[in-house]
Amino acid sequence: MINTFVWTLFRTLGVLLVVTAVVFALMYGNGEGIARSVVGFRSTDEGVMIKMVELGLDRPLLTQFWDWGTGAARGDLGRSFYTGQSVAEALSQRVPVTLSVIIPALLLTAVISVLLGVWAAVKGGVVDRIVQFLSIGGTAVPAFIVAIALVFAFAIQWRVFPATGYVKFGENPMMWLASIALPMIALLIGSVASAAQQFRTAVLDTLGRDYVRTLRARGVKEWQVIFQHVLRNAAAPGLTVVGLTLLNLLGGAVFIEQVFALPGIGQLAASSAKIFDVPMVMGTVLFTVLVVLIVNLATDLLITALNPKARKR
Amino acid sequence: MRATIARRLGRLVTGVTISALAFTGCAGTSGAPNTSGATAGGSTSAGTSGGPKELLTLGVTADIEGWDPGVQPGYQGWAAEAVWDRLVYCDSTGGIEPAMLEDWEINDDRTAITGQLREGMEFTDGGAVDAASIEAAVKHMETTPQAPDYAGVVVTAESDSITLTWPEPQPIIANKACNLIISSPEQLESGEFTDQPVGSGPYVLDVGNTTRGSQYAFTKNPDHWNAAHYPFERLVVKVIESETAAVSALKTGQIDASLIPSNAVKEAETSNLDVLNFQGQTTRLIISDRTGKVEPALGDKRVRQAMNMVFDKEAMVQALYLGNAEPTAQVFRKGSDAYIEGLEDPYPFDVEKAKQLMSEAGYADGFELELPTMEGQNHETLMPYVTQQLAEINITVKQVPLSGANAISDLLSGKFPVVLWQLGNLGDSTYQIYVEATPEGWWDLQHEPDQFVGTRWDKLQTASDEEARTLEQEINRYLVDEAWFAPMVYMGTSFAFHSDKLSIPTQSDPEALTPKLRDFQ
Repeated sequence: MINTFVWTLFRTLGVLLVVTAVVFALMYGNGEGIARSVVGFRSTDEGVMIKMVELGLDRPLLTQFWDWGTGAARGDLGRSFYTGQSVAEALSQRVPVTLSVIIPALLLTAVISVLLGVWAAVKGGVVDRIVQFLSIGGTAVPAFIVAIALVFAFAIQWRVFPATGYVKFGENPMMWLASIALPMIALLIGSVASAAQQFRTAVLDTLGRDYVRTLRARGVKEWQVIFQHVLRNAAAPGLTVVGLTLLNLLGGAVFIEQVFALPGIGQLAASSAKIFDVPMVMGTVLFTVLVVLIVNLATDLLITALNPKARKR
Repeated sequence: MRATIARRLGRLVTGVTISALAFTGCAGTSGAPNTSGATAGGSTSAGTSGGPKELLTLGVTADIEGWDPGVQPGYQGWAAEAVWDRLVYCDSTGGIEPAMLEDWEINDDRTAITGQLREGMEFTDGGAVDAASIEAAVKHMETTPQAPDYAGVVVTAESDSITLTWPEPQPIIANKACNLIISSPEQLESGEFTDQPVGSGPYVLDVGNTTRGSQYAFTKNPDHWNAAHYPFERLVVKVIESETAAVSALKTGQIDASLIPSNAVKEAETSNLDVLNFQGQTTRLIISDRTGKVEPALGDKRVRQAMNMVFDKEAMVQALYLGNAEPTAQVFRKGSDAYIEGLEDPYPFDVEKAKQLMSEAGYADGFELELPTMEGQNHETLMPYVTQQLAEINITVKQVPLSGANAISDLLSGKFPVVLWQLGNLGDSTYQIYVEATPEGWWDLQHEPDQFVGTRWDKLQTASDEEARTLEQEINRYLVDEAWFAPMVYMGTSFAFHSDKLSIPTQSDPEALTPKLRDFQ
């Protein structure tokens, strides 16, 4: 188990290094273009060069990456080329907004999709078809379309929830809940639709195993078969689904934050990329890569803990 | 204004969403046009301001880029207008209005502006607004993207009289005076613009209620020299980058006013919102390679004229702009000095005549033309039509998508002989001539001097108002005759607001893109 952990951690750090290096090279590769964007198109070539030197963009790429990487290790991700705001500060303001939406969405996705998946797999027939129909429908409609529909119905027509904006939990918990409700539901529909299908397949697969037939033949109660034995064995693919769902939610947040004008990490990434504010972009990339790697790491370790076969290499 | 165009371009390349230019095809079809380029739809309630009001909440489609006074956009620049004041204001035609200077005088050779500084003005940190502040502001501008406008400017003071002197005559001196933002010299010297701007504007940033990237809150500055003009005790500027979200926020009353996309105008009007439509842009081909340096065919005037004749402008208005635009044969704004009233389109839609011109020029078989495309320019709508129509005279369009950090510099580099753009038509047509028709102008992409324009431009430096109007119209007529552009339609932005909460009785933006902060009542 310890070997598995060390190996997985080593692999994770390697991926982190490679991904950030590649993105850094892509983002910082055009130092002159970045400097020209910052100083404006009317600036002289001399002005652009001065800005390049000022921003350190004239240095070799490897040196820049080393400085950025060692700074990041100390928690210093640099400052925005435009606003001067600390990237770490910006992330500390934006990450809670995004997490406020995707963490509840993830938890609800896990619960609802397990219930729907088990229900469809166990009942079969009409129930199964209904769940499958809803899953396909939920997957087919993009989250931002769902979001617009939700805004129209619950913010404009019925005025139950605010159409845009975010309220911090510390300021007003009820308003916080109201502000994340629609974005969270918009993300939830698609993720439940996708995950429920996966859980259904996993449970169906497990239900067909010999030991399930044996358990039933021994007279074990059906709910015990399902929730104590089948679900446990279906947990590995289920955990993978949950991990992937979190990543999908993170990607979906970029669009959802635009529709609901939420000042989250997705909005920061999009707006920074548009103006080539590369330190800010690198900050959001680092955050995203870290989330992906941590989720994968946690999923790997949990699966390993649940399934001894996975420990073998 | 020059700077605001720079900022707008900056936003263009960045998308932000992105800019006024993203809201395409939204010129007014209702209400009466005026020289500011704005028309009113719905039931605009002018002059409804009475006593003080509590709160004005404005939506902006792009976040501000920090608190450096040298990088503030004129477009949706309400945050900057709130915290800083300016020497003078420019009105919708580019004329000067009093601000920090009570009065002003521009000398005959247009090298200097002299004015009387108001007494008793203070920055919000308690520092006095004086000649040293003005000098510090000028020096700071020399370190910003606006540096070319303030290079070599000398500030002199005598009592409360301030003079800014440029080393060369400045035909657009008013514009440069209007763009000078006055900030605390201590803050300028420190270079720390991160959190709390220190100005002398009508509002003060409320840091505690501000969340960067989301909303900027301001409280009224009771010590501002014109505090009575600003009726709202508090101002909130909310960043709402999505057009859909902006419309939703307007309809639910979360914001009082915002730009909206043209396809949402009817929806807004049926939701009891008033809509101001601006015609601050002219869709046109910029045929800048008129000497044929990049594409020899374009050196022949007949080819450029033929390109003008293949566009059915009425059909464009209806099909591409959904009726929210107006055909035009000239690039200058209605009512501006350069605008020629009653100019008959010399290039009416006539493909056969265009083919004949191409044949006479020896280009019956046409040529291949590279046209750059960029996000936010409505190219996805316009380019198919432009490509199809130019093909009628055997000009094969090859689209070249521009993106990334070099997009704007590539666009303006002159390597493209023709550019399709929804470019601003300015209230100050002198400035527009400078930008689009002089070698120094960044939209005269080849920067080739032209004798006809050059001689008139030189005369403009010291011309009287009446002479200037004549000269500018001569230039305009020349540009039309020589087909420097292929103007298509006037179009612009749409601005929706709740008339029960505010009125917008004036329109002060020389670019005619949005109201200025002082227009909100």
